Amino acid sequence: MTRTTLRVCGASHILPGAAAWARLEPQWALTFGDFADWPSALMTTSADPLLWILTLEDVLTPESLEGLDDVALDTALASLTAPLEARLAVSTEPTVVAWTTWRPQSAIASARRLSAWSNAARRLETLLYGLAARRPALHLIDLDVALAVDGLAAAFDSRNLYAAGCRFSRKGLARAVEAVEPVLQRIARPPKKVLVLDCDGVLWGDVVGEVGLGRIVLGGDGLGRAHKDIQRAARRLGRAGTLLALASKNTAADVWEVFERHPDMVLTRDDIAAWRIDWTEKAANLVEMAKDLDLGLESFVFLDDNPFEREKMRLALPEVTTLEPPADVTAWPSLIDSLDLFARFDATPEDAAKAQQYRSRAAFADARRGAGDETRFLASLDMQAVSAPLDATTLARAEQLAAKTNQYNLRNARHTAAELEALAASPTTVAFLTRLRDRFGDHGAVGLTIARVVGDTAFLDSFLMSCRVLGRHLDAWMLGRLAALLRDRGVRWLFAEFRDSGRNAVAGQCLAAHGFARWAGPEDDPLRRAVATLSAIEGELYLADLDTLEIPHLDLFHAPQTQPQAEAHRAPTAAVS
Amino acid sequence: MLPRPSLKPKLIALLQQQFPKAAIPSTDTLAVGSFPDWDSLGHFNYLMLVEETFDVRFSLEEMSELKGLDQIAAALAGRGVEGL
Repeated sequence: MTRTTLRVCGASHILPGAAAWARLEPQWALTFGDFADWPSALMTTSADPLLWILTLEDVLTPESLEGLDDVALDTALASLTAPLEARLAVSTEPTVVAWTTWRPQSAIASARRLSAWSNAARRLETLLYGLAARRPALHLIDLDVALAVDGLAAAFDSRNLYAAGCRFSRKGLARAVEAVEPVLQRIARPPKKVLVLDCDGVLWGDVVGEVGLGRIVLGGDGLGRAHKDIQRAARRLGRAGTLLALASKNTAADVWEVFERHPDMVLTRDDIAAWRIDWTEKAANLVEMAKDLDLGLESFVFLDDNPFEREKMRLALPEVTTLEPPADVTAWPSLIDSLDLFARFDATPEDAAKAQQYRSRAAFADARRGAGDETRFLASLDMQAVSAPLDATTLARAEQLAAKTNQYNLRNARHTAAELEALAASPTTVAFLTRLRDRFGDHGAVGLTIARVVGDTAFLDSFLMSCRVLGRHLDAWMLGRLAALLRDRGVRWLFAEFRDSGRNAVAGQCLAAHGFARWAGPEDDPLRRAVATLSAIEGELYLADLDTLEIPHLDLFHAPQTQPQAEAHRAPTAAVS
Repeated sequence: MLPRPSLKPKLIALLQQQFPKAAIPSTDTLAVGSFPDWDSLGHFNYLMLVEETFDVRFSLEEMSELKGLDQIAAALAGRGVEGL
């Protein structure tokens, strides 16, 4: 496995080579600078992600706070974080700041008023989160929360400070690195999407098929309350965008009777995106559910109370993450709440609506199978598509789409939020997201289109669409919308590149199907030279003449009653000829 | 009474764990500087690994005095730690 370089710097000595760092080494090639060289590490231009361990007391002494009002304090803190701001202004690579503000204080001294130190700590936190709101590359970790697991006093060691300049204890440094790891993992990998739950022993205690609806353990006090809280925790995940699924060896009617009739059920059938309730092996059922949802098995997390079922799942489907919960069921609600597997940096409205969208997708597939004539069926969907500009309100969703879309993705340009922000700010960019609504529901923002313009020529930087809406000819609408926006700018020639990833054949077919022709001109052709100024071409190059381009299937889409204000997009500017 | 088993084999194993890429010389007097990676920072990390392994804690003074495996073994033996 190729490891990514991660530069690490600290305000305190952070003991390169200590055992604590070993947990990051399988994935990251750690490079440490010199002791306390954090300002230069932050200011050095580098293409590598960076981790800054900030121990506030190493950069701000308690004495320096004496006599400072809040304005002066904010100025001092801004001065401290200036190197960080400087890096974020020029680097789109992830920057992780893990900070601790803990220092021993008298409880009496802060019993009547906020101490100067605590005030500085709070204002630093406000400053950092304000910065994170403006800079998508910044990720923050409040180490005091992570270190509190063992007690803050145990996380620091004065002997290490005086012996080696390191404030952390051995255990504290290990906890700090442990806290950083999931954030680094999420930067590198997308979250899991599906939590598959067993029913007996998880959603409720005992076996419904044996004891019946009235005697399962659910609700009230004791274990029944724990099972109810497990459902609450699962529902919270579901409402935040994780798909919930059931894999239960049971009679389906027994399970649904509990869902519909038990007064203490928290989850409803509407919360469940997919299920297999039968006597088939659970691994085979997960494979079927993955097909239903059109998701890879690596997106699945499996929770079962039976160690035998868990072990079988690990052996049969190692790509599925099988949780190993503690034997004590009362710990399971907090286990689910603390799962990093599903956590996202920026939850979007689309995340929360995802379960509904997947159910819509299943209903669409059912209806299509029964409809016969495809054109008539599509016309009956009452499809309404609208575009929204790429801006601060849509950036997170655009990044999600760019990161996750594998099948309908023309070039697989995995733009980060920071790169998208830069593209959106450029006057030579035409970019929009596409939302789709039909009679099966609102599918949310499901398409991303980015074109870059030079003179009368444009290049399709990104053209991608969620697999949830494949088969509806939404790509035709997106191309039609792009063509209209480009014509408004005086663009005639639209280049597009297909980069074969091995998984995106469906996107590769779209260009020829929508009026593009494979480019066969010479390298020194003026048009070819123009596109070369916009992007290096590694795949198959196609060209469309917008003056004559006719895009099929546009009649399948109705205009919405009111087009959002955001539809205006960016007005042409002087920078575009 | 049987002689106490030596702590040094375990300490050498920990040395290899702390410095996985180092070629540890075969000598009875291993100490800081015996090979290039074993510098002062590496030694501090090594002592912390020893502390963790044997569930002991060295004082600041000991951290500065314990430079060789013989001294470390003696400090551990003084705390009742026996060879494995």
